[in-house]
Amino acid sequence: MKTTKIITTLLLTVLSTPIFISCNSKDEASSTTEVSTGVFVLNQGKYNSNNASLTYYDFATSFASADLFLDKNNRGLGDTGQDMIKYGSKIYIAMYKSSLIEVINAQTGVSVKSIPMKNGAGTSSSPRSLTSANGKVYVVLYDGHVSQLDTVSLAVEKTIAVGANPDASVITNNKLYVANTGGMAAVMDSTVSVINLSTFTETKKIKINLNPGTIKADSYGDVYVASKGDYNLIPGKFQRIAAGTDVVTDIAVAVKNFDIIGDNAYISNFDYDATWQAAHKTIAVYDVKNEKLVSANIVTTDIIKTPYCINVDPTTKNIYLGVSDYVNNGKMYCFGQDGALKFTFTTGLNPTKVVFITK
Amino acid sequence: MPLSGHFRELFERFIHRQIVTTVFKNSGFHFHSSIRSFLFFSVLFCSSTAVADEFQTDTLHTRKLKTVTVNGQRLQVARAAMPVQIFAEKEIATLNAVNITDVAKYFSGVIIKDYGGIGGMKTVSLRGMGAQYTGVSYDGTMMSDIQSGQIDLGRFSLDNIAEISLSNGQPNDIFQSARMFSSGGVLCLKTKLLDYDKNKSFEGKASFKAGSFGFLNPSLFIAKNFGKKWAFNLSTDAQMANGKYTFLQYYGSSTDNLSAELKRSNTDITSIRSEINALYRIKEKESIALKSNFFGSERGLPGSITFYNTDDSQQRLKDRTFFTQIHYLNKVSDKFQHQYFAKFNLSDNYFTDIDSKYISTNGVLNDHYLQKEYYVSASFQYKLLEPLFISASTDWWYNDLTINSNVNFKDFNYPTRNTGLANLATKYLTERLTLGANLLYTLTRENVRTGVASPDRDKLSPSVSASYKLLEDKEFRIRAFYKNIYRLPTFNDLYYQEMGNKNLRPEDANQYNIGFTYLETEIPFLSEFILSADGYYNQVTDKIIAIPRDMFHWSMTNKGNVKIKGLDVNLKMNIKAGKSDLIKTKVNYSLQSAKDATLGSDNFGEQIPYTPVHSGSGSISYEHGKWEAGYNMIFSGVRWIGQMTDKTNKMNGYAMHSIFVSTSYKRWKVNAEIIDLFNTQYEVVKFYPMPRRNFRISLSMDLGK
Repeated sequence: MKTTKIITTLLLTVLSTPIFISCNSKDEASSTTEVSTGVFVLNQGKYNSNNASLTYYDFATSFASADLFLDKNNRGLGDTGQDMIKYGSKIYIAMYKSSLIEVINAQTGVSVKSIPMKNGAGTSSSPRSLTSANGKVYVVLYDGHVSQLDTVSLAVEKTIAVGANPDASVITNNKLYVANTGGMAAVMDSTVSVINLSTFTETKKIKINLNPGTIKADSYGDVYVASKGDYNLIPGKFQRIAAGTDVVTDIAVAVKNFDIIGDNAYISNFDYDATWQAAHKTIAVYDVKNEKLVSANIVTTDIIKTPYCINVDPTTKNIYLGVSDYVNNGKMYCFGQDGALKFTFTTGLNPTKVVFITK
Repeated sequence: MPLSGHFRELFERFIHRQIVTTVFKNSGFHFHSSIRSFLFFSVLFCSSTAVADEFQTDTLHTRKLKTVTVNGQRLQVARAAMPVQIFAEKEIATLNAVNITDVAKYFSGVIIKDYGGIGGMKTVSLRGMGAQYTGVSYDGTMMSDIQSGQIDLGRFSLDNIAEISLSNGQPNDIFQSARMFSSGGVLCLKTKLLDYDKNKSFEGKASFKAGSFGFLNPSLFIAKNFGKKWAFNLSTDAQMANGKYTFLQYYGSSTDNLSAELKRSNTDITSIRSEINALYRIKEKESIALKSNFFGSERGLPGSITFYNTDDSQQRLKDRTFFTQIHYLNKVSDKFQHQYFAKFNLSDNYFTDIDSKYISTNGVLNDHYLQKEYYVSASFQYKLLEPLFISASTDWWYNDLTINSNVNFKDFNYPTRNTGLANLATKYLTERLTLGANLLYTLTRENVRTGVASPDRDKLSPSVSASYKLLEDKEFRIRAFYKNIYRLPTFNDLYYQEMGNKNLRPEDANQYNIGFTYLETEIPFLSEFILSADGYYNQVTDKIIAIPRDMFHWSMTNKGNVKIKGLDVNLKMNIKAGKSDLIKTKVNYSLQSAKDATLGSDNFGEQIPYTPVHSGSGSISYEHGKWEAGYNMIFSGVRWIGQMTDKTNKMNGYAMHSIFVSTSYKRWKVNAEIIDLFNTQYEVVKFYPMPRRNFRISLSMDLGK
């Protein structure tokens, strides 16, 4: 009786060992991933689901590790990854619901510091976007503020008020432009706050279309804004705030999202079919120097799901388009400047920002 | 760029409201007045006790009556063509239960959504179909929530409950309101009413429960008959808890990840429930019953856990539900019976959130939801020829919903809906064969103050059922049923700001069931043995779900199919031990293979969220004289929290064990419980951690003896 039991146990152990090893080896492969030359993708995750993640895709191995942050730190990023930038040797990640800035070493993925973002009342100030200049990182806070973070001490130095529920931001000419959405207000906002970085004070508010979303600048000091409207009667717009004069001009190009590298803006757009599926997915190229549309669409590849983010590699000018169905893992497309598909890889849920790493 | 915060949080609140509104929907009662009324009732009860003492209980008579009830219940379970599971008051007392959902956990085929804590919302769904398919009947009338379609079971008291039953499809009795036939399954709650007994005109119970996390629950039940004609009862209870419990949080989906022990906050609740019933027996078989029920609460909504952010949620909910109904019943003869219901239901809740992101309203959000229902029903039953009955019933009700908010719902449509039902049913009933069929017609007509109303809907839904006793002398029956049913879109589905879709069609479900029941009463040393097993197949089509229209804009849509194959097994066995000791055991097991069957879906063939493949429960209790002790266990297998069944969405299974011991002395009874004996940390809904080991003690006094 006893012998049989021992034999059975042994047999089971032996039988299950290979499965065990194979399971482990897969996990180990990801945890031993070393950062070299490639891209980091911040996956937003789902709100209130604590499932933001960091995909690392390595150019040499063509391997995408599902969650580098979890692998290196033995804990998840937290709730709702909102923005990510690389500055110096570090990567800064704005976590909205977790209300903190996660600072990681760009070469190892290991957390350097988690900086809680709290307002005067000691409650969450909810970071939305990040920009950097002159040794500082500027954190836009959804409770209507911008904080200046010193990159040496990794501490908040100053905080100023801007408009209601500010979201995206960009720096040009030593000025920080912040898009005020008023997303939690009864009436949404339609302004861009301008902050002088020398004095760190808000100098003016520029009136633009309702509910500004993406905001980017070109090398000539012009600022481009894609607004979303009220999702009902007031449509979204693509607008330019002219350098120096701050005059706002409408641009007759449909835009959901865009990025500017060099003299080109790469614009992602799509429509819906009758069942509210994304259709006619395009990437247009707009020349910001001559201020005219170069191509209405450069992509011929059939893109699945819904475009979620677009970022362009400043070195190679490769275009990264992240797509999502809000439920499953996302996918990242990499296109050349001519729109030819170079490669794709799997990301986490809701890929929202790409950061480029060179060893 | 990220999902717009505005929309995302709106969506979040929508989902939240699906949960919260349903369960805890009402608010705004004034605690002082509640206390006052409670005191008033206490005085009333004290004076009644004196009256009660004058009466002697005929114990023999009572015991006999109880036996008959139990037998009736067994037969009801064994003979049901559509599966029914029943817990009577005495069994409920052995289940470590403090509310209705605690009891419902011991039904097979059921999934409880429990957001944790005493104030957390609790809903029940059956056999892989959404909670909106579960109708809740309270003493014969259906409860409703037009906004979310789900009934929060947290608002009912267990103290005045005589019986809780769960019917798949519909209850087997065809002499019912049409609305009883309009759900995928019905959870029936029956309250205690005193039968006329010339030797006993008063019954009552006062009890006091106390437990971990500051839980206090005084309650009072009294029932009084005045002669043959009048019967009254009153039940009232108050609940208070701070709900502050510690829990273990892992910062990742694995228990190897870093973790911390944290404390739940903003979890306090104060609530009061009161119900008054009056019955007037016009003749022996003709009666009028009146019922008024009030529930009010004020509570914190702790929300889900956010990693690394321990800020207290500032969300509060004040709610208040009131309904009053009248029921006229006339069992004219064996051949013909008729009954009528009329009911008014009011439910309102105030939701507040304090958060610095509400910049334009000084950091405060105020939402007020008010819904009303006016409902009438008539049903008739006629015996056509000896074993063949037919019934006809027709119901009509009107709902409205008003929402006011300082931030949201600027373009709210203020919808109203008229719903009409007509049902024809028939039943052929002999000792060995039961056949049943019904056809339900539903119409909805909607109006809005502004904007466009949802189109008129008309639906026909049939059902058929059969049960057959295979052998003459064995209570062994096989059974089968088919039922087609729908779930109407709720006002949230249709009119919620920015995401409601007025063109939603009703969601459709086909249910098929085949099974057997075996009842044995003549095995030596076993006083009771009931085994039932049912295999089922449910197909849900045109499922109402939220889908993203783009990254900023979601919408409700009829999309997706789900196919559910399952098995429910129930075993109940009572074993006689020694002279008068009794060991009672009960085991149930549920298998649910609920797969996404939407063609072209990335998740085709994957198990749907929050539906374990394996789940079940087990109970054993030992009765020795005035002492009783028992053990209860529930378990749930692995579940997934999203459509994607990978490790990031995986939720481990759990087993939760509880024990109790109770004894009585004269008119006193005391019951002590340990819930979650092994201090298991588990979640029913992800990021809503459940309390771990906790204690409860209750003391009650029988006022009727």
